[in-house]
Amino acid sequence: MEKISITQRISVYLICGMILVFSAAFFISPKREFSEEENRKLKGMPEFSKTALFDGSFAGGLKDYVTDQFPGRDNLLSYISAAERISGRKEINGVYLPGGTIMMNSYEEPVNVEKDITQFSKLAENTDADVYLCLVPSAVNIYRDLLPAYAPEDGKRQQEIIDVIYEGVSPRIKKVDASRALRQARYNDQALDDMYAADAPHYSVYYRTDHHWKVYGAYAAYMEFCETAGLTPYAQDLYSWNKVSDSFRGTIYSKLNDSYFGSDEITSVSCEYWDLTVDYGDGNVTDSPYNPDYLEKRDSYSYFLDNQHSFIEVTNNAMEGGEIAVVKDSYANCFIPFLFNHYRKVYIFDTRYYKGGPSKFINEHKGIEDVLILYNMGTLDNDTGIGGIY
Amino acid sequence: MVFSSITFLFFFLPAFLILYYLVPGRAKNVVLLVFSLIFYAWGEPKYIFLMMFSSMVDYLDGLALNALHAHPKMRKLPLAAALIINLGLLAYFKYADFAVGIWNSLTPWDRELPGVALPIGISFYTFQTVSYSIDVYKERIKPEKNYFDYLTYVCMFPQLIAGPIVRFSTVQQELKDRKVCESGFVKGFRRFLTGLFRKVLIADQCGALWEGIRTAGNISAVTAWLGILAFTLQLYFDFSAYSDMAIGLGEMLGFHFPENFLYPLSATSITDFWRKWHISLSSWFRDYVYIPLGGNRAGTLKHLRNMFAVWFLTGLWHGASWNFVLWGLYHGVLLTLEKYVWGKGLKKLPKLLQHLYAIVIVVVGFGIFTFDDLGELALYFPKLICAAGNPFLGPELIWHAGNYLPFLLAAFILSFPVYPAFKEKLGKADVHRRNLAEILGVLATVALFVLALSSMVRDSYSPFLYFRF
Repeated sequence: MEKISITQRISVYLICGMILVFSAAFFISPKREFSEEENRKLKGMPEFSKTALFDGSFAGGLKDYVTDQFPGRDNLLSYISAAERISGRKEINGVYLPGGTIMMNSYEEPVNVEKDITQFSKLAENTDADVYLCLVPSAVNIYRDLLPAYAPEDGKRQQEIIDVIYEGVSPRIKKVDASRALRQARYNDQALDDMYAADAPHYSVYYRTDHHWKVYGAYAAYMEFCETAGLTPYAQDLYSWNKVSDSFRGTIYSKLNDSYFGSDEITSVSCEYWDLTVDYGDGNVTDSPYNPDYLEKRDSYSYFLDNQHSFIEVTNNAMEGGEIAVVKDSYANCFIPFLFNHYRKVYIFDTRYYKGGPSKFINEHKGIEDVLILYNMGTLDNDTGIGGIY
Repeated sequence: MVFSSITFLFFFLPAFLILYYLVPGRAKNVVLLVFSLIFYAWGEPKYIFLMMFSSMVDYLDGLALNALHAHPKMRKLPLAAALIINLGLLAYFKYADFAVGIWNSLTPWDRELPGVALPIGISFYTFQTVSYSIDVYKERIKPEKNYFDYLTYVCMFPQLIAGPIVRFSTVQQELKDRKVCESGFVKGFRRFLTGLFRKVLIADQCGALWEGIRTAGNISAVTAWLGILAFTLQLYFDFSAYSDMAIGLGEMLGFHFPENFLYPLSATSITDFWRKWHISLSSWFRDYVYIPLGGNRAGTLKHLRNMFAVWFLTGLWHGASWNFVLWGLYHGVLLTLEKYVWGKGLKKLPKLLQHLYAIVIVVVGFGIFTFDDLGELALYFPKLICAAGNPFLGPELIWHAGNYLPFLLAAFILSFPVYPAFKEKLGKADVHRRNLAEILGVLATVALFVLALSSMVRDSYSPFLYFRF
C-alpha cells in the first residue's frame, strides 16, 4: 500500500480545519438580509412545512440559505473571478473585460421589441401632450471600439434596435437621438472627459463599475432633448458640478467582486436657480433631488432621486410655469435635474411600481404640455414597467 | 444532495463523519444507513419509498433463492419475479414518456404522455439490485440475511446517485467487517478533494466553454470541433470526478469500491476506450447481458446479434432518447469493425495516430451524446465539415479558445496519466527536491480548495451531468 507522507496529512487536516471553522462560523455569525456587495436580497431560512419537505422546496431553500449566508461570502466570491481574469478571460458573468480596468455589460438579443413599440405608441395615442421618446444606448454601444477583440457582439445591435423602435412607433412621438449626443460627448469634450474620469480616459459618459450613465452623459442627452423640443439649453457652467463620491462600486462590479477593478467617482449637479420641493408621495418631502445617505451604501447610484419611487412630483418654485411628465427607468434619475430650469413641475412615473397608468394622470392635469419617455437599452427588454406604461 | 455543494461539504459530511467515527463497530452501518436516507431524501423525498421497495424485492428474492437451493427448477420463479419488478420499475419511471412518444409518432391513436419524473439514481441502484439477484441465483454469492445491511449496500450515499455500480460481492465482506482507520480517512479525503477540484475547476469550466459555443450562431468548423471536444472533457471530468469522490468517500468509511475510469481519453482504440471508460457499467453489461447471450463464442452471426443488443441497451441506459441509442450503436459498430476489420492493422500504426483515431471517434460520439434533440444534432453536425455554409476557420475561435486556454490545457494534460508519472519521477529525485515538491503540494491543495470553494459559492448550483441518467 502506498504510504501517506506527512505533508499529505498536513494538507488534509488543514482543509478539514477550514471546513470545521467555516461551518462553526456559519452557526455563530449573524445572518444578513441584504448584500451590499452584490446589491441583492439574501435568502433567509426557508419555512418548514410538509408540502415543502416533500416537493423538495425545503431542501432547495435550505441550500440557497446556506450559500447566501455563508461566512466570508463576499471575499470568497472574488477569488474565482480574479483567477479567471488572470487566466486571460475576456468575459465573465456577462461582463466584457477588454483589458485594464474597463468593464462593460454585454447586450442580449431583445425579445420584446414589438411590445415596446406598441406600448410607447399607446402612451402617445392616449394623451394630447407632445410626447418625446429618448432611448439611451448603454456603454457596450457607445464604447464598442473598446470591446475585446473577436467578442461575439460588435456593439452595434442596440443602435439597430433603437432604429427599429423609432421607425415603428406612432408618428405622434418625437424622437431624441441620445446615441448621437453621447457619441459626440465622448469624442468632443476631451477636456471634461479627462477631468471626470482620470482613472479611465475616454470613459466619462458611463460608469465603469455600474450599468448607469454618468451625469455628464445625461447632460449630453439633455442638450439633444432641448434641440428636439425647441428649448434653449442651459450651458454647463450655469451648473456647479460636484464630486460627491469616489468609492462607487456598482452593479457591474458586483458581478465579479474583484477589487482589481477599483471604483468610480460620482459627480452631480446643482444650480442656483433651483428652489425645489421634491415630493416622493410617501410623505417624504425634501428640497433636493439627491439623497446623500445612499453614498455611504454600496448602491450609491440611488443617491439620484432617492432610488425607486412609483411617483415623484418636483416643483421648482423659482419657475413661472411649464409642466412635464417623465415615464422612465433609473437612467432618468440623474437626467431629470436638468429639466428643473425648464418646467415648474416635473411629474415622474416609474411604471414598474406606479399602477393606474400615467396617461390617466396626464389627461387629468391639463397643464402638462410635454411627456418624455426615457429608457436605457441595457435593461429595456427586461423592464417590467413597460406593460403598464400608458 | 450534490457532493460539490456547500451543504454537503460543510454540514452533511462533517456531521456524518464525526458520528460515524464515534459510534462503535456495527452501529456504523446504522449511521451510514440513516445518513444515506437523508442524503437521498434531500432531493427526492417521494421516491425514497420506491428505492426501499426495490431493495426489499431483491432482499426477499435472495432469501427465496437460498431456501429453494434444493429445487433448481423452481428457483427460476423468484428470479424472474425480481427481474420483472426491478426492470419494470426502471422501464416505467425512465422510459414511459419515451415509449408513448414513439407510439404517438407511429400510430394515429395518440395518447397523453404520462409525464413521469425520473427518480434520481434509479438506473444505478436498479443495476445493483439486479446484479445481486442474478449473482444469488447463480450462487456466486451468499444472500444477505439482514435487510438493513442489504439496504445499506443499495443506498450507501457515496455511490447511490451516480455510481460506480458496486456489486454486492465487492462489499459483502466489508459490510459486516471493515477496517476503519485514520490512514484510510486521509487517503480517501485526498481522493475526494481530487474529485472536487476536477469537477468544480475543470469540468464546470469546460462546460461553460461548450455552452458558449453551442449557443453561438455562426461558427467555423474548427470551433465546432472545439465545442464537442469541450463537451467531451466536461463529461469526462464531471463523471470521473464523481467517481473519485465516491471512491474517496468509500475509503474514508472503510469500503473499497472499484475504479471506474482509467484515463479513457488516452485510449488507443475504441476497444481500449471501453476498458477505461465507466468500467463498472461496461463490465455489468458484459457479465449480465453479453456473456449470458453467448458472447463471441456462438458464431459470427450470434456475436453480431449480441453486440447489437449490448450496445443498443448501453445507449438506452443513458437516457430515454434516440441520440443515446444512436451513440450506443455507433460504438457497437466501431467495436465490431475493430474486431473483424481493422483492429490488427490499427495496432501497427504509430502510437500517435492510434490516439488520434480513438479521440476523434470518441469526441464525435459524445457530439451525438450531447444532443437529446436530434433536430439540434442535425443542425450542429454539418458545421463540423463546413456543410452549413460556415468557414473552416473563423476569428471566433480565438474568442472561445482564448477565454478558456489555461483550463483547456489543464484538462488536456490531466486526461493523460501525468500525475502518476510525475509521482514516480519524484520518487527517484533527491530529498531536497522531494521536500520542496511536498511543501508546494500542501500550498497548491489549499489554494485549489479556496478556489473551488469560491466557485461553489458563486455558482451555487451545478449538478453533475450523470444525475440525469
